Amino acid sequence: MEVRYQVIVLGGGPAGLNAAKYAANSGCEVGLIDAGTRLGGQYWRHTGHEEFDQTVHHNFDQGSLLMDAVLANPRITIHSDTTIWSVSIINDEIVLRTKDGAFITQRLIIATGAYDRTLPFPGWDIPGVMTPGAAQSLLKGQGVLAGKRVVVAGTGPFLLPVASGLSNHGASLVGLLEASGKYSWAKNSLELLRNPAKAVEGLGYLLELRRGKVALRFRQAVVAAHAGADGTLESVTIANIDSAWQIRSTYKLSCDVVAVGWGFTADTAIASSLGLTLEVDEEGAVTVVVDDDQCATQSNSATQIYAAGELTGIGGSDLALVEGAIAGLAVADSTSDLKALKKRRNKLQRFAKALTKVYPVLPGWKSWLSEETTICRCEEISYSDIDAAKEEFDAHDARSIKLLTRCGMGLCQGRICGRAIADLMNSTPQERINATTRPILSPITLGEVAQEGLL
Amino acid sequence: MITFTFEGLPLEVQPGISIAAALITHGERITRLTRFNSNPRGLFCGIGACFDCLIEVDGQPNQRSCITTVKEGMVVKVQRGS
Repeated sequence: MEVRYQVIVLGGGPAGLNAAKYAANSGCEVGLIDAGTRLGGQYWRHTGHEEFDQTVHHNFDQGSLLMDAVLANPRITIHSDTTIWSVSIINDEIVLRTKDGAFITQRLIIATGAYDRTLPFPGWDIPGVMTPGAAQSLLKGQGVLAGKRVVVAGTGPFLLPVASGLSNHGASLVGLLEASGKYSWAKNSLELLRNPAKAVEGLGYLLELRRGKVALRFRQAVVAAHAGADGTLESVTIANIDSAWQIRSTYKLSCDVVAVGWGFTADTAIASSLGLTLEVDEEGAVTVVVDDDQCATQSNSATQIYAAGELTGIGGSDLALVEGAIAGLAVADSTSDLKALKKRRNKLQRFAKALTKVYPVLPGWKSWLSEETTICRCEEISYSDIDAAKEEFDAHDARSIKLLTRCGMGLCQGRICGRAIADLMNSTPQERINATTRPILSPITLGEVAQEGLL
Repeated sequence: MITFTFEGLPLEVQPGISIAAALITHGERITRLTRFNSNPRGLFCGIGACFDCLIEVDGQPNQRSCITTVKEGMVVKVQRGS
């Protein structure tokens, strides 16, 4: 099967939905390809039971209206449950391959979002240890509580809605730990105060948590997880850490789930595999470079590729919506006035940058690792395996370590451990960019490839 | 409610949820044992990115339990090895 669209949008989250809507309203025939079963992306993940969905979202009405508008738009064709396994540019056309055949276009908007950034620590592979996004997706998408006694830890503003959601729906939240300091906000308050709506949202979660008698503790982190006799999580070791994230003292908490996350990593796999120009920020995050119209830089002049939302820099749903709108208008060559949208985007981007400074991930986390700590979950490679490869073969870069130990070569293709390994090996920005391409974007069997007639 | 089996035991769950979510409501958190060290693993990223919650469904291994919807009569087993 081959399907052609004037414009293809990848991703059904806030950025992709708005991009599709704006492009369609400007006259384009749009194909919206989404890996999820329901539209909404990770942010508006929902069960489809309206009453419940309202209780687990900060502002579900906004998402609900946008999803309805996209579903009702006759110029938008939605392909849900559709995962792209390869991308290429052939004869001046962008070819996106899925198990249901190829989608072809000359105008593409990539809005593939982000996933939780994780850091390895002793015991992080025990069942019951998960990302905040996993706990959140269970609650928002399935209506299921991840556990009964839960610890939420790591850094970043996302921990608050996750903790408050779990607590409101009946979990006993035994710990809520933020690795950054209490006054981290104060140092960056100027830009943050320019966006009072976000401050109000944050305070709302804190008040909700207080009603549930949950205290937010600063400068604390989960540094080890421990399994019980059945092999699943039984307790965690929590450390009081200093301003360089070195452990000062520890205590234990029993729990059946710990949700640990360190912000987000942009999903740049498709963008990178299409050869778009990427950049690396001071925290080692790889993002897609876009111009004022959200247009990415690439070598093929016959095709236009735009990027919007988290993969151009982590900034939250409001920013993703505006970037999506700009990309949608730009892809349609719309003459409508973009000035107000761009002004709003630039303001939200400044806020997002300031927020990153409030929640930095400091290299002190490396001191929490033990020799036995699993670094690559897929290939079961420990910290000592990496050290041995460094020693034995004089390997000094992430790629050599990967080739020697197989770390980052498993089914997740380094999506989970890749950034941590880059941090451990002090990868250069170019090495970090090189590590983001995925010639095969998601696992596919040779039989499935053969069925498509490609073998 | 629908019924599926996990390791041979029938479990009743709400329709429309993922296999991982269905198992968690019954206190089951181990979806696979790793191929080298037989270590237990379960749901980790919850969005289909990490491939840690792999499970065997109706004889097919390597199914991501976090994004596969549970169905009436499904035969689900812990995935052992690869």
